[in-house]
Amino acid sequence: MQNTNSTTMMPAMSRRQSLKLFGLMVAGAALPGLAACTSSTSAESAIAGSTAQTGHWPTIEIKPIVLEGYGKDPNLIIPPTSPWPKTLTETQLNIVGRLSEILVPKDNEQPGALEIGAPHVVDEWVSAPYSGQQHDRDTILRLLIWLDEEAQLHHDMSFMGLEKAAQMAILDRIAYGTDEAPVEYHQPAQAFDRLRKLILAAYFCSAPGSREIGYMGNVAIAGDYPGPTDEAMAHLDEALASLGLTDYAYSPIGE
Amino acid sequence: MAKFEHEVLVVGSGAGGAMAAYELTKAGIKVLLLEAGRDYDPKTETPMFKRNADAPLMASGNADKNFGYYDATVDGGWSVPDEPYTTDDESEFLWWRARMLGGRTNHWGRYSLRFSEHDFKGKSRDGLGADWPFEYSDIAPWYDKTEQLVGVCGTNTGLDDMPDSAPGVLQPPPKPRVPELLVAAAANKLGIKAVPMHRAVLTRPKDERAACFYATPCGHGCSIGAAFQTTTSLLPMAQKTGNLKVLTNAMVKHVDTDNTGKVTGVTIIDKTTSEANAISARVVILAASACESARIMLNSSSEHHPNGLANSSGQLGRNLMDSTGAGLGATIPALRNRPRYNEDGHTANHLFIPWWGHKAQANGELDFPRGYHFEIGSGFREPGAWVSGNFKGYGQDLKDEAKSNYGASVYFALRGEMLPNPHCYMDIDPEVTDKWGIPVARFHWKWSEHELNQVAHGLQTAKDILETMGATVGELPSPEQAIAKGGQIIHEVGTARMGASKEDSVTNQWGQTWDCPNLFVMDGGVFASNPHKNCTLTILTLAMRNANWLTNQLKQGAL
Repeated sequence: MQNTNSTTMMPAMSRRQSLKLFGLMVAGAALPGLAACTSSTSAESAIAGSTAQTGHWPTIEIKPIVLEGYGKDPNLIIPPTSPWPKTLTETQLNIVGRLSEILVPKDNEQPGALEIGAPHVVDEWVSAPYSGQQHDRDTILRLLIWLDEEAQLHHDMSFMGLEKAAQMAILDRIAYGTDEAPVEYHQPAQAFDRLRKLILAAYFCSAPGSREIGYMGNVAIAGDYPGPTDEAMAHLDEALASLGLTDYAYSPIGE
Repeated sequence: MAKFEHEVLVVGSGAGGAMAAYELTKAGIKVLLLEAGRDYDPKTETPMFKRNADAPLMASGNADKNFGYYDATVDGGWSVPDEPYTTDDESEFLWWRARMLGGRTNHWGRYSLRFSEHDFKGKSRDGLGADWPFEYSDIAPWYDKTEQLVGVCGTNTGLDDMPDSAPGVLQPPPKPRVPELLVAAAANKLGIKAVPMHRAVLTRPKDERAACFYATPCGHGCSIGAAFQTTTSLLPMAQKTGNLKVLTNAMVKHVDTDNTGKVTGVTIIDKTTSEANAISARVVILAASACESARIMLNSSSEHHPNGLANSSGQLGRNLMDSTGAGLGATIPALRNRPRYNEDGHTANHLFIPWWGHKAQANGELDFPRGYHFEIGSGFREPGAWVSGNFKGYGQDLKDEAKSNYGASVYFALRGEMLPNPHCYMDIDPEVTDKWGIPVARFHWKWSEHELNQVAHGLQTAKDILETMGATVGELPSPEQAIAKGGQIIHEVGTARMGASKEDSVTNQWGQTWDCPNLFVMDGGVFASNPHKNCTLTILTLAMRNANWLTNQLKQGAL
């Protein structure tokens, strides 16, 4: 994967994220063939008989993760950085990395989803032994297979082997929801939406993403809670006025 | 050092047990406190200032940590390892437990609303459920003392659903946030008041506890002691008297009685060795949580107590009540793209909506007899594993959508009073035992029309307020779909209810069991009804009042 290298690590990256990136590089180098699902993503067999018109949502069995979780009394002060083995293959991680770049690209000084380590958050998520994550695992792994199948079908190449324009042409079919898309793209579109939200969550959860969305809490305040700023109150006043609620504005009771 | 010889055994270190231990030890009575879970030190174990990104799965909840990675609960939640519970085939019930010093007080919501005269005398008013065996005026001074000791912020509103505290008792509440102010205006237009929540969070320092610094969700626990939990307040204070000894990993198997039926102590399983040990005492106080205390009593049958200990009324395990729960939320267009500021505050409701319908109920205008309140979910929360928005495409559009929606949603959580009914109770499963060989609790549950009608009313009201704020709200779910499962609101009470007569209650107004004068219940089990106002403040208050009464009994040699 040409896009993940140590130079993309940002100074603001947490220890956990750096460890994850480091872990990826090691794992990627050592275990190139690690399989995340029961069969290899053999596009030919999975899409035999399929055409772009009938659709080709993968039906192979995806084995669930059967492992203990982190338990009911984990260390809350030093959370585990590797609570369970990650299971995405290097190829799958590369696709998630590419999607991360496309969904939340780097923007001048602001890192993107790839730089904050979203692929590793996704890997941790789909590898987790809990029911919600297992559901997402099924969805997301099928999407990753589907992307390769779609690339094979139209270009006789893997998704990562395509030029960016061809990759975007595939993604454009599934990135705008199911309302517009032909029915054979509904399943991949729903799966893409799930992965997109997961990557967005990973991004906004990170320190740079959290700053960008405007979360200003988690800082100790000495004295009383200051409440809304003048600017925030002015905005509220406009909202009250637009809704015809100005006359009903809150006045402190019993103080 | 002299051998520690306790007079009183207290089972449980949560709200009721710790308050009882504090009150007794302060009066010079030696107490041995038994806790089924492990020792827990909030000063070193609370994840203060931790970020979601630094925990597995962005700190989201799962089967191990139901309320998220950083939730303070140790070895508990909807399930406890090796300690199952069951339900009958038709029932769904969830039972939240903790296995840690301080119990569920380490993570609770800290909402601290007084019950009113109205609440204590529901049956006199509408003929349903049961009255409490005292008046509001009997308990009001104890609420004052409890609020002062615990530290509760809020204001006296003068509303009929919120009895005033004595002057100077409440600490100042934090300023309301923007979405709460918008809710307050919209509700006000509909004739409904939003007012400051009462919360067991210090906004001024007290004893050795610091004032809130408005960061880190209280559910993580509070290492500075601002958010009340017994492990930073009552337990260390009781320990300072020199009259308290705490034994953790001590799971009570049953209460022991002699051949006259008198309580002599308890038998515990030492979880570290799996061995059973008998511990004797002059008085036993059960405060293990409503259902755990009832389980212990039901498991303590003997010749004199054939249907469970102190169960001559047959009410033990009956009258199980939770709060009703339902929720409705929407994105408020007028809150999109609003100016940013720090909305952590004390990390829960600064404003809420108390029940406004007492008069309407008195006039027969409503088709449900008991009230509810709304808690308000809103604000610029720390980003976690879910991002709100309707996402299409890639890149800047996604960021813009996420940023526009950030802090723009409002969610109403209904918490209402349910009435006891014959279908809601617990007994002992005849077949299942836990790891320690103790027969487990089995739950039976069915909501009645009272609760379903109340939830329907609440959903419609929430929709009206949301629409008044300009939100588009779709079709409402049916109350059967919307209502939370039994136990899910974690306000389970009533299984050893107090009353005026031994025929229809398990304890008198002091939590003293009618059948065994030296056996007391000081948790939510004694509740005669379950007003919508969250149970912990009243558990604390009753434990203080009743432990004080017990102290006087012991000093007078009556027990």
